[in-house]
Amino acid sequence: MSTNSIYRDLLLDHARHPKYSGCLEHPDLKASAFNPLCGDELELTLALSGETIHDCRTQVRGCSICIASASMMSEFILERTLSEVLQISKEFSKSLRKDTEDIPETIESLRPLIDLKTHRSRIKCMRLAWDALEDCAAQHQT
Amino acid sequence: MQHHPLASKVRDDFPILKREINDFPLAYLDNAATTQKPNCVIDSLLDFYSTHNSNVSRGVYTLAEEATEIYEEGRESIAKFIGATDSGNIIFTRGTTESINLVASAWAQHNLKTGDRIIVTEMEHHSNLVPWQMAAQASGAELVYWPITPEAGSTSVGLLELEELEELLTDSVKLLAVTAVSNVLGTVNPIAKIVEMAHERGIPVLVDAAQAVARMPIDVSGLDCDFLAFSGHKVYGPTGIGVLYAKKERLDEMQPFQGGGGMIRQVGRQSSTWADSPQKFEAGTPPVAEVSGLAAALEYVSDVGISEIQKHEKELTAHALNRFAEFSDLELYGPQDTCDRTGVLSFNLRNVHPHDAAQVLDESGIAVRAGHHCTQILHERLGVAASVRMSFGIYNEVSEIDRLFSSLDRARDIFLD
Repeated sequence: MSTNSIYRDLLLDHARHPKYSGCLEHPDLKASAFNPLCGDELELTLALSGETIHDCRTQVRGCSICIASASMMSEFILERTLSEVLQISKEFSKSLRKDTEDIPETIESLRPLIDLKTHRSRIKCMRLAWDALEDCAAQHQT
Repeated sequence: MQHHPLASKVRDDFPILKREINDFPLAYLDNAATTQKPNCVIDSLLDFYSTHNSNVSRGVYTLAEEATEIYEEGRESIAKFIGATDSGNIIFTRGTTESINLVASAWAQHNLKTGDRIIVTEMEHHSNLVPWQMAAQASGAELVYWPITPEAGSTSVGLLELEELEELLTDSVKLLAVTAVSNVLGTVNPIAKIVEMAHERGIPVLVDAAQAVARMPIDVSGLDCDFLAFSGHKVYGPTGIGVLYAKKERLDEMQPFQGGGGMIRQVGRQSSTWADSPQKFEAGTPPVAEVSGLAAALEYVSDVGISEIQKHEKELTAHALNRFAEFSDLELYGPQDTCDRTGVLSFNLRNVHPHDAAQVLDESGIAVRAGHHCTQILHERLGVAASVRMSFGIYNEVSEIDRLFSSLDRARDIFLD
């Protein structure tokens, strides 16, 4: 696979200029995720109004794919409910499996990431932000 | 293409080197993780399974006798390779990690008590760190870190200083565990001197020789170390086979590691007695085919010649060091002089994550490793989360190193504005 196809312009743009980067000062929910394979780490902070995520930030120490994924996720989850994004996260996970071919319309915008799934060693990089999101959702439930 | 005499002589022995990766010839520069296998090793595995396969010991039929002979002859040739006078001091394990865990569990846990100390260094691989943490936690002992020299732009970066050790060697120290060669910095540690200093105070020393075994001569008798561990797969042998050398006195102090077949003398209903060393530490069916493969690998390395290998690696390392000096955006960790180091070179390309750099290199058929290389303590000390690592084997060529530096230009183009 060539660089052009794996590092799509969109991904690189997100990696270079990540959206919603940093930490919220007074978050309602907060979770960290760690990739023990490479030492990458990420902190996600969310602000809620009711069930809806109305603001978020990610603080990432990671590779371009990890940063881009966190940035794309942030754009994606804003103004959605926690249960909605949890469902999306599950769909994203499923689409990263080797044997899944179809990408549901709901996560079409994540296609540049999903296209990288042949690089199995990078799946964790893509999932790190989403893992933190699932952690936040779990905290909220309890 | 520039061919080093040694590389051009041996390359044909390694079938995998004919592979193309992403339309480029494979440049395999991840030898610190594992080495490729020559035909003689692959053939020995094939030959064992096609001709001699059976379980060792206790069988009186021809195949069982052949398998037992292959296994025990393997032990002897491995003893000879590392300068052990008696093959009874060689215990087969699954790898360096299991060898060290064996010592931590069968020796340290029974010989350590609250207040005792184990010296480890900041450059240890997790396999020579975590087992000691576990042994310390179980016994009430504690780990003491021998620091590396600071990252201060001097030439003595990433070294262990003997004056520092002098201060750490107190009465409460019951073991010193140190690597012969750093798997990140490439630093070659003064093991003989370290053992001598520890022994002056009666402190046993375990040497992690995982990186050293394929790169320099090992002589356990000359070193007088108490334990030495290495893996077969890092010295051109198969995976799943490792070696623990232990001195007679230490073997006598050790309890069994795992219980099961082969390690007993007599089994009673409530308790059992143990076989003599080394069988006492080898419960279950041993890796017979792998031992035969490892013996073939060590014979191959001896035929090529360890001094030839050292010379070759020094040339590659010197070339790489010169290339690093050309680029101000490459940060190389570890000693900058070939006297203090070997062909394991970890670095970062400024503002490019190691994963990204390694991925771009793979697109040009260059295999390097990115991550913390199982040395989180060391990377913390270096102040970085991860690094890119190239590491040489006997088949590597100067041209492959040059390809790596050219491909880094592509990483700059892609990731830096």
